[in-house]
Amino acid sequence: MPMQDSPSRLISRRRVVASAAAATLAMPLVFRPRRARANNNLVFVTWGGTYKSSVVAGLIKPFQAATGITVTVVDTPDLAKVKAQMMTGNVAWDVFDAPGAMGASGSRDGFWEPLDPAMFKSDDLSVPPPTKDLAPFYTWAGGVAYDPKRFPDGKHPRNFAEDFDAKTFPGRRTFRNRISETLEAALLASGVPGPKLYPLDVERGFKMLDAIKPHVVKWIESTPETITMLQQDEADFSYSYASRVKTTRAAGGVPVDFSFGQTLNGLEYLAVLKGAPNKEAAMKFVAFALQAQQQAAVMNLLGNAPANKRALPMMSAEARRWLPDLSLPQNVVLNDMWWADNFDKLNRRFLEWIIS
Amino acid sequence: MRRTYTEGMLYMGPAVLLSLAILALPLGYVLYTSLFDPHFTLQAYTDLLSSKLFERSLLTTIEVSVTAAVVSLLLGYPVALHLARQPPRKRALYMILVLLPFWTSVLVKSYAFTVILGRDGLINSMLSMIVGQKIVLPMIFNRFGVIVGMTNYLVPFVVMPLLAGLLAIDPALRRAAEIMGAKPARIFFSITLPLSVPGIVAAFSTTTVMSLGFFVIPALLGGPHDMMMANLVDFFTRQTLDWHAASAIGMILLVIVVVISFAATRVRRIAA
Repeated sequence: MPMQDSPSRLISRRRVVASAAAATLAMPLVFRPRRARANNNLVFVTWGGTYKSSVVAGLIKPFQAATGITVTVVDTPDLAKVKAQMMTGNVAWDVFDAPGAMGASGSRDGFWEPLDPAMFKSDDLSVPPPTKDLAPFYTWAGGVAYDPKRFPDGKHPRNFAEDFDAKTFPGRRTFRNRISETLEAALLASGVPGPKLYPLDVERGFKMLDAIKPHVVKWIESTPETITMLQQDEADFSYSYASRVKTTRAAGGVPVDFSFGQTLNGLEYLAVLKGAPNKEAAMKFVAFALQAQQQAAVMNLLGNAPANKRALPMMSAEARRWLPDLSLPQNVVLNDMWWADNFDKLNRRFLEWIIS
Repeated sequence: MRRTYTEGMLYMGPAVLLSLAILALPLGYVLYTSLFDPHFTLQAYTDLLSSKLFERSLLTTIEVSVTAAVVSLLLGYPVALHLARQPPRKRALYMILVLLPFWTSVLVKSYAFTVILGRDGLINSMLSMIVGQKIVLPMIFNRFGVIVGMTNYLVPFVVMPLLAGLLAIDPALRRAAEIMGAKPARIFFSITLPLSVPGIVAAFSTTTVMSLGFFVIPALLGGPHDMMMANLVDFFTRQTLDWHAASAIGMILLVIVVVISFAATRVRRIAA
């Protein structure tokens, strides 16, 4: 066949040239995907496992259906990675699921965008937001967990004073290998009333810890171990979490129980990263997550207490059974801002104390 | 001379470039972070060297690493010796067995060890059954647990260099010794063992160096006194965001690793 340009070929060649030109013009768009997708996409960094599936089912799916914004879920909030993103000016995450201490240190270091106060009615919140850049998401409850078969009612400690009383309640204890939570437990045990806990009396707390130290078999690094130590009979009374105990019982296996006689309650926050590529969508997401209906749906699955008080009556009776009453004076809410200023120094002292 | 140099560059060049890009550059940055805050200062190092926490965990790290390496060596040597005497096909099969634990995640293995070594674990309940009364040997949440967990991980790294060393020994030496009437023990101590020293040194130095960075196993199987340097690095990197201190620890560990490697090379040269 003679190689002559047929009309169709000509057109196609013209098209190629035209589309190449268009592509060149469109280059900036390609290289700036952030702006192009600004309002229909966001990245949410949260915890893995059943936690993630609960958040996806109770929060992310309804959010996508309501707004049309696609949420990409990424595993494991890590402040070191946030710091790296800030340092390199390459912010990849939008919304950060921050446990109290992480939220507060991030706030101190200026990692978060300020939030619009109109986003949440503060009357509805069970705990007021400590700063302008943190949105309370829920509270979790820590306290004494035990195996009810080995320690039926009356034989196990119900509060921190009893947990630190190895004479009346002989047995092997575990606590976390960090000073936050542990120091509060020690001070409550020594008789400091809940409402007067902060600022923490460090020396008094360490004195109390000195007394219980011989009875502590392990300072626990990973949260699941707070349960497995009990199940494998490596410990008798373990500092653990209500939601963990609840999910362990739901999953079967060796049942453990949790005493609601006294709880330490920590906040989980949602924060928007400073310079987040999809800031607008991120703000919408945080506001949505704080609405009562979503809070009830997520907390039914997670087993934690909603930050929005109006969500409580919407929750299932079974889920509500696993929530502490924060209005009681013995149940204390951790002060994350106090820890943001004191954690580094005190935790170093605590780790030294452990190995000495 | 010239030709071997060019050839060497050809073979080694790409690997060197890759290492420079993904190892040397970040390492340089870690060194920089440990020294500048934002001006030059040795603060991170002086803080560490005067800290009891650092001193204790450095000591623990060295103790645990050396112990784990020695125990792995003692366990791995007979295995390597046995493998070296097998025909190649059988050896390949056994090698798979040695490598099996390798393919399981460290985290899963550590949790599995809590089931085996625990108070009500397999070993304790079996012993109790045999003896007829409750026996509780403390095998976990202490140094013993850490060493068991680490050894389980390290043995393959011992067997491989040892096997290579043993296979390189000229079989004629052994036959000559046999002909001259040497007993197996004599052959082992005057031929096999001395000639396998380079393999032993390689295995020992690799496993010691690897152990220096262990993190999960001491955290899960160890007790309160088994805190290692890697746990400290994690504390500074992720919890306090003090990257100067974390980098300084990293550099100190690196210096220790380099010293061990240099010493190992010297010993091997002398032995060879």
